[in-house]
Amino acid sequence: MTKIISPDEAKQNSSFKSALTELLYQLADDDFILAYRGSEWLGLAPHIEEDVAFSSINQDTMGHAAIFYQLLEELGEGDMDVLAHSRPPKERLNAVLLEMVNGTGTYLENPKFDWAYTVVRHYFYTAAKKIKMDSLKNSTYQPLADAAARVSIELFYHMMHWRTWFQQLMLAGGEARTRMEKAIFQVMDEMEGVITLGPKGQEIIKFALIEHDKTLKDRWQAVLSPVFTSVNSIMPESMGMKSGNGRNGEHTADLESALAIMNEVYILDPAANW
Amino acid sequence: MDSTVSYGLLAEDEKHALFIKRIEAGEKIEADDWMPEEYRKTLIKLISMHGISEIMGALPEKEWVPKAPSLKRKLGIMAKVQDEMGHGQLLLRVSEDLMKPYGKNRESIMQDLFSGDLKFHNVFHMEAPTWADAGLIGWLVDGAAIITQTNMLDASYGPYARALKRICAEEVFHAQHGESIIMALAEGTPKQRVMLQESLNRWWEALLMFFGPGDAGTTGTSKQDITIKYKIRTKTNEELRQDFFTKYIPRVLSLGLILPDSTMHFDKEAGKWIYKQPDWGKFKDIIKNKGPKSEERLRLRRISYETNEWVREALGSASAGERR
Amino acid sequence: MAKGFYEEYEVFSRRSDTAPMLYQFSLLAPNEELALIMAQENFMRREPASDIWVVKRSNIRKMTLEEKETLKRLDNKDYRNTKGYGYLKKKWRQYEQGMLDEKEIMSWGGNQS
Repeated sequence: MTKIISPDEAKQNSSFKSALTELLYQLADDDFILAYRGSEWLGLAPHIEEDVAFSSINQDTMGHAAIFYQLLEELGEGDMDVLAHSRPPKERLNAVLLEMVNGTGTYLENPKFDWAYTVVRHYFYTAAKKIKMDSLKNSTYQPLADAAARVSIELFYHMMHWRTWFQQLMLAGGEARTRMEKAIFQVMDEMEGVITLGPKGQEIIKFALIEHDKTLKDRWQAVLSPVFTSVNSIMPESMGMKSGNGRNGEHTADLESALAIMNEVYILDPAANW
Repeated sequence: MDSTVSYGLLAEDEKHALFIKRIEAGEKIEADDWMPEEYRKTLIKLISMHGISEIMGALPEKEWVPKAPSLKRKLGIMAKVQDEMGHGQLLLRVSEDLMKPYGKNRESIMQDLFSGDLKFHNVFHMEAPTWADAGLIGWLVDGAAIITQTNMLDASYGPYARALKRICAEEVFHAQHGESIIMALAEGTPKQRVMLQESLNRWWEALLMFFGPGDAGTTGTSKQDITIKYKIRTKTNEELRQDFFTKYIPRVLSLGLILPDSTMHFDKEAGKWIYKQPDWGKFKDIIKNKGPKSEERLRLRRISYETNEWVREALGSASAGERR
Repeated sequence: MAKGFYEEYEVFSRRSDTAPMLYQFSLLAPNEELALIMAQENFMRREPASDIWVVKRSNIRKMTLEEKETLKRLDNKDYRNTKGYGYLKKKWRQYEQGMLDEKEIMSWGGNQS
């Protein structure tokens, strides 16, 4: 398929545009909600130096969400802030894994956040995101290919950061190992939801916007498998979507409460300049 | 060692005289240099309080990080609060090196915070219930911090001066981040303007207190004389407060905000601002962790510290991490 | 009490491939791998870095206050630099030649970037 080089060109082919926007919502919503979950950790990380480093990753990720929302805005989907803040849960296409709370309590009260879960979730997600970005560099929608090339620049650091934490906590043994293994199963239970391209997957693949999700999944396993070996462990074979498929608009109460918090100021007056 | 000043051979008073000579000459004292006990203790107290205040100061603002009303604001406030944590990191490193001879480290600082032995700045015990507070903290609280911190940029203790240089450079961004939020509210809807004025009213007294009491007579203790003696800073609390007024009052008024103190004015003859003193008794209580949010914020920090203890335990033991 | 978690590392970085390594600041980390992944974001959030070193502080030999006395020198060493040979400019002019000064010589590398 020939490359579509501009939003105007994309708008002329309604089935192409529909597949494209579907994929863009997935990418934008994934990064947006995970950056939000990450930002809840601010000031609460296990170590001050790590708090600072982690915050940069969250800022990068929120910045990536903004890049994808911007592409949607250019396609006539509306203002990027409206897209990020105003869409109800059933219109959100992020993977359920990424909306899940960091632990018990909230970021304001009793935040008993789980660092093991955070390390595993971020590491596994980042690996999947990197694979998607690499595939998207050949996307038939040129603005998306360009965006993917830009986004992937920052993922080298994210990968190194989370891989280091993953390997060290796995190798630490004892309580850390137990917590990490538990987190791995929790994350794998939902990991399929990150990789799947959802109900319009066939269209997305047909238009060569990105490669087949089966291919992406194989690559993900090929990246992670040796890391598991390096920490004397074996990667669980199966992954699932235990709490639903976010690409279908299926979500948990965790997303609702997150949206209520992130919109608290915005909805006071959506028309105002803040 | 064959040397003109072999510290090992000098008597205490000679060391002291040489130390004073060095700071009088504008030399910088480094962590491993000989220094009077009083100097070390004053620095530890000042810098660990400064450092932990940055860490505790992240908490009122972080309440607003997830709630910031646009993508741009979310990114801006994330970066700003991250800097506060970063400033805490720089300052705690400086004070940790100073307290090393006493066998203390990061862990001790946290324990001292939880026990109430280590105080944090009065402003960070206060409530920040609206988005306008997020802006006001950036604009005026950081503005006040810039005034006190730039006053110590040439501090006789080298590591502190260097940390402050990094910090002040970033504070310029903080001030503008705050101004941008304030400006949007000041030029916004009537509701937004009310939000802003209420925030100024709420923070006024805490801002006056920010610089500390004018003299020891007000609260019983004051470290300002010692810090001036050792060339850690140059100006008194009151001088700094007056500088703050001179820089910020005209700006507050230009935005159409009303000063919460109707008696406030500039006395041309005396060359200073006349204002109603805050309740210094209240100030004493606040810094004893009896402020409106003291307990809650300490609790938040304690919970996060305890919840993550396993991470530090796991990697702190010899078997973890790089195996040599 | 997690004592080994708080090891001191010194962080160095260079702004570009041709810039010298500069000292940045110190951080606490349990080992050098973690020190390395925290270094850039703690100290170089707003400046470029093309390389970073982390060094365990205990591996650095620092100078004592007395040893710093050894760094002082007399101001009589013009012969070590071009300042002591400034008269050559006038001399070469007599021979109708330009002076090969630092600016001239450093330009001979051409447009290498």
